[in-house]
Amino acid sequence: MRVYVNNKPVELLPGMTVRHALLQAGLLGQIEAGRKVYDDWGNEVGLAGALSAEMKIWVR
Amino acid sequence: MKKLPAFILSIILAIFFLTPAYGREVSLRILYVNDFHGFAEPYQPTGSQEKLGGAASLAREVKRLRQGKPTLLLAAGDMIQGHSWATFFQGRSSIALMNLMRFDAMVVGNHEFDFGQDVLKKRIAAARFPVLGANVEGFKDGLKPYVIKTIQGLKVAIIGVVTPDTPQATHPGNVAGLKFLPPAPVVEKYLPELKKRADLVLVLSHLGYQADRDLAAKAPGVAVIVGGHSHTKLLEPAVVGDTIVVQAWEHAKALGVLDLTVEDGKIKNFSGRLQMIKPAAGREDKEVRTLVKKYAARVNAVLGEKIGEAALDLDGEHVRAQETNLGDLLADVLRQAAGAQAVIINGGGIRAGIPKGTIAVKDIYSVLPFDNYLVAIRLTGKQIREALEHGVSGLEEGAGRFPQVSGLSFIYSRRAPAGSRVKEIVIGGQPLDPRKEYVVATNDFMAAGGDGYRAFGEALKSSPDFACTGGMLQGEKLVYNDAGRWLRDVVIDYIRRQKTVAPQVNGRIKQID
Repeated sequence: MRVYVNNKPVELLPGMTVRHALLQAGLLGQIEAGRKVYDDWGNEVGLAGALSAEMKIWVR
Repeated sequence: MKKLPAFILSIILAIFFLTPAYGREVSLRILYVNDFHGFAEPYQPTGSQEKLGGAASLAREVKRLRQGKPTLLLAAGDMIQGHSWATFFQGRSSIALMNLMRFDAMVVGNHEFDFGQDVLKKRIAAARFPVLGANVEGFKDGLKPYVIKTIQGLKVAIIGVVTPDTPQATHPGNVAGLKFLPPAPVVEKYLPELKKRADLVLVLSHLGYQADRDLAAKAPGVAVIVGGHSHTKLLEPAVVGDTIVVQAWEHAKALGVLDLTVEDGKIKNFSGRLQMIKPAAGREDKEVRTLVKKYAARVNAVLGEKIGEAALDLDGEHVRAQETNLGDLLADVLRQAAGAQAVIINGGGIRAGIPKGTIAVKDIYSVLPFDNYLVAIRLTGKQIREALEHGVSGLEEGAGRFPQVSGLSFIYSRRAPAGSRVKEIVIGGQPLDPRKEYVVATNDFMAAGGDGYRAFGEALKSSPDFACTGGMLQGEKLVYNDAGRWLRDVVIDYIRRQKTVAPQVNGRIKQID
């Protein structure tokens, strides 16, 4: 399953979550520093949140 | 004043209670949570400066918001698995909590299947509220497709749907014999009947926010979708067509509040918000606090439980630099569990050793503190070599990527430059064939590229899809994927069965210079 983190594509297994997407995008450390993850509608999502194919999430 | 004859009175009452509440304006408050995952005690989330959540604080808010309002309390799935407060009891504690809080309905989430169908049936039997799953086919005894609740004469139908991806994210045995149908056609099937029988039709969904929006577009006529799965912090209700979509983040850190005014089967007005839940002295429900503490004490008792004996010291200290007997043991256990030909795990994921003597549950929690799970992927021999090269590329800094392995052995040169250190690799007693595919198990952290491992991700890129048929995961590259069971639980079960472990370093990883 492909999702996009800050427009960067990452490949995930079924059942993998926002945390895995950030890990693959090299952005998990930014969450520890206080940044948050948002979906395409601007809603914050939890690190354990499920993703769907072609979904876009943003770290800011 | 004359009394009405009994039969006329009964007809009037039947009209009032058995048919929708036409011609009346009714207020309804919907309180909702999702993806609780057993987080019964407040905790400090990653990146947060304060503790959030707590079931006792949540329950107090529910009580307060119920006062003077006709209310439904709903749960949008993933309630019984995750935190050890729930997982240690296979979700019994979560159901006890939900009974105490008087939930009105719940939909199954994908993680409700993580303990298997027999356990789920027991949890459903213990629940004093209906557990819904309209798009789950083949689950006998327990799951209801929908429920109709009557609140002050207002009939509210609630259909439950869960993600059709469930079979691909849990152990195949947990969903054997079940079919997870696409949710929209299922909702569309029930809608005409329920619209006749109820004033309002809600969907309690464990599909994720994006899928909820899609469902709202595909199935007009649903008044409200109360969602979960994507852990979305939806501060205000969204509206898609005529459907209101809500979701309340995760882990009881927020309680969703949606107030509706309904007239003639239509929502006249609505307002909604998330009520944040934070622990505060004197702002807890005492009964729920007692229940939370009772199970928390049992968690401590389980952690102290003896599960076996280590016949010798299990070395968790040198796992970032060399093969150790603990690394071998863990890799062997995982290989057996996944039915894989080989295992490569990161030494940095092993956080402690175990001295000779009694092994308690808490020891395994110290060794494997992270919520990681087991996956197995088909890698080519070339990709295995690349993975091992990466594993020994950070020797100088004692990097956590140093591999612990099972089912294979390799020789490496410390003096050679990073990227060309690995020499001979033997797998299954034969030299590694770079073109042949092998099933290699690892943890989800490494499969997602953790510690810089790219081989697993590269393999997955060439695997277009996954499906679960006949209880077996079918995918070109993905062979095993059990997101509902932590590695430490696999290891605990193994040691319980073995009673005594005495792993010896046997030369799987040799340094030649």
